[in-house]
Amino acid sequence: MTAPSTTPGSPAVATEASIQVRNLNYFFGKGDLRKQVLYDISLDLHPGQIVIMTGPSGSGKTTLLTLIGALRSATDGSLRVLGQELVGMGSRQLVELRRNIGFIFQAHNLFESLTAAQNVEMAVELTGNFRGKRQQAVDILSQLGLAERANYKPAALSGGQKQRVAIARALVNQPQLILADEPTAALDKQSGRDVVTLMQHLANEKGCTILMVTHDNRILDVADRIINLVDGRLESDESPQQFVDSHTPQSLDQKMFIM
Amino acid sequence: MKFPSLPRIPLAWYNLRHDRPRLLVAVAGVTFAVLLMFMNLGFLGALVSTTTNFYDEFNGDIFLISPQSLEISSTKAFPRERLYQAKGIEGVQQVMPLYAEYALWKNPETSLSRAMFVYAFNPSDPVFLMPELNTPEGRRALQQPNTAFIDRRSRPEFGPQTVGLETEADRRRITVVGQYDLGGGFAADGTLIMSDQNFRRYFDPRPLDQVNLGLVLLEPGADAQRVKVALQDQLPADVEVYTKTEIVLKESQFWIQTTSIGFIFGLGVLVSFIVGTVIVYQILYTDIRDHLREYATLKAIGYSGSYLFKTVIQEAILLALMGYVPGLILALGLYELAVNATAGTLPMQMTVFRVIFVFTLTLLMCALSGLISVRKAVTADPAEVFA
Repeated sequence: MTAPSTTPGSPAVATEASIQVRNLNYFFGKGDLRKQVLYDISLDLHPGQIVIMTGPSGSGKTTLLTLIGALRSATDGSLRVLGQELVGMGSRQLVELRRNIGFIFQAHNLFESLTAAQNVEMAVELTGNFRGKRQQAVDILSQLGLAERANYKPAALSGGQKQRVAIARALVNQPQLILADEPTAALDKQSGRDVVTLMQHLANEKGCTILMVTHDNRILDVADRIINLVDGRLESDESPQQFVDSHTPQSLDQKMFIM
Repeated sequence: MKFPSLPRIPLAWYNLRHDRPRLLVAVAGVTFAVLLMFMNLGFLGALVSTTTNFYDEFNGDIFLISPQSLEISSTKAFPRERLYQAKGIEGVQQVMPLYAEYALWKNPETSLSRAMFVYAFNPSDPVFLMPELNTPEGRRALQQPNTAFIDRRSRPEFGPQTVGLETEADRRRITVVGQYDLGGGFAADGTLIMSDQNFRRYFDPRPLDQVNLGLVLLEPGADAQRVKVALQDQLPADVEVYTKTEIVLKESQFWIQTTSIGFIFGLGVLVSFIVGTVIVYQILYTDIRDHLREYATLKAIGYSGSYLFKTVIQEAILLALMGYVPGLILALGLYELAVNATAGTLPMQMTVFRVIFVFTLTLLMCALSGLISVRKAVTADPAEVFA
């Protein structure tokens, strides 16, 4: 396993890591049914980094993502996110912490009863900004090419448009950390590219950390690092070029199903 | 472009409004439950007032009644001496006996007999307040043998009620000599009023020194409560003394508490409440189930469980408000209908208390279903949305 300190693809960063995982183990179930899904994960993600996580299904990618996103409680090892230790944290504090994280889900999970702008405003309301919420929502929707669709309900939007609204909702509060699960899967080439460009912009300008689970090889080039999770273990941690080199068709690992 | 400060997005309202047919069904369900509660309480209230509203026409401030009497139609007679004794108490202006019995009244058209409730009094006493009975002609007519006044609110099954009609009561010829409006409550389908002398004729061998109800008129300015206490002290235990308010209350309580009538309508209200709760629960539960991923997403992005709790309860309260108003309007219409259908003998009247009481019940009903269904939303697992 690659030591986390020798992070390739990024300069030696002096700032504190946004995510610092140390010897993280995670189990599903209890008693006899207890099953380990993550084994001794150690990982550092720094501000401004875009990290893509790959791996076969069932490898624990989503579990790791939900742990980092404070959606599950970690009990074993150490998990520091945005400077706070999540292991042993109460559920109220977990909710607080989640407000600083932008989540992009595979499914858009938009409220059908709200317009695109209102769905985004729901996220802004968490910050207590009631005066500027409409402006913020319309601005971010415009950046994602949805200015004309702000007052449409999800039923009147295409799949790609809905996904972009969901992304707008995740990005509108300019979170320090963005966690994404297949954010571009439902998007066409151009919209997918627009989304990752926006993420790149956030990473570069605002020092935002982005962790993305994706199998979309069209966007691998934006990654600073690609980490590969197999059977709950961190298999590799490389720069995109190394990743492409080591995953040429000749040497294709059976467990990998992309590239 | 400038935007004003906007309120929080009313998610509960938007969620409800989104599925119009479902909202309509939910509101109809609440309306139905509200209507049922109003009708049951209306019947109960009408019962209470029919059992008591004839007291409004009784010209007494204090009433004497046997302790073994349950209500006006099932009285046990007490000795007339008690009235004479009462007359000696300070503050008492006049005492008047009232007699009561059931008689079989023959419908002259169908020849079918039916139980008619008969009041009898001395025509020289101002026992009743109805104007027809207080004219000199009215009194004279009552004093004729074998005559009676008939209640216009008697059921039509008793046959024609025209003045001058002759028929039989307890197998004795009787002539209708006048009409009045009183109403018989739940105990009687129709009432007659006759003189004590005629009463003696129809209900022989019952003596007139056994009285069913004693009416006491007070001197102007006398304190009813004080005279009542004095009467209680002076009279033996075979009569009880009530003020008008007290005897009205005693009779309503008899019907509500010791007959199945109060229980039936109380049960009706309870069943309506449960039906409403189940309907609202069903609607809210389906709504939550359909939006579970969205609710979980809200939790994932940092909304707390209490926000979701509030949203569901808000939906419940909105349903309560939207269902209550049409329910109240429909109930007012049906009350009117019931009054007309019973020719005013079932006085279903909306009271402020009932409007507030049913509104409270409706809020409770919706809040209760909200509380039952909210668990599912609050326990929505935010980790699920990544699966």
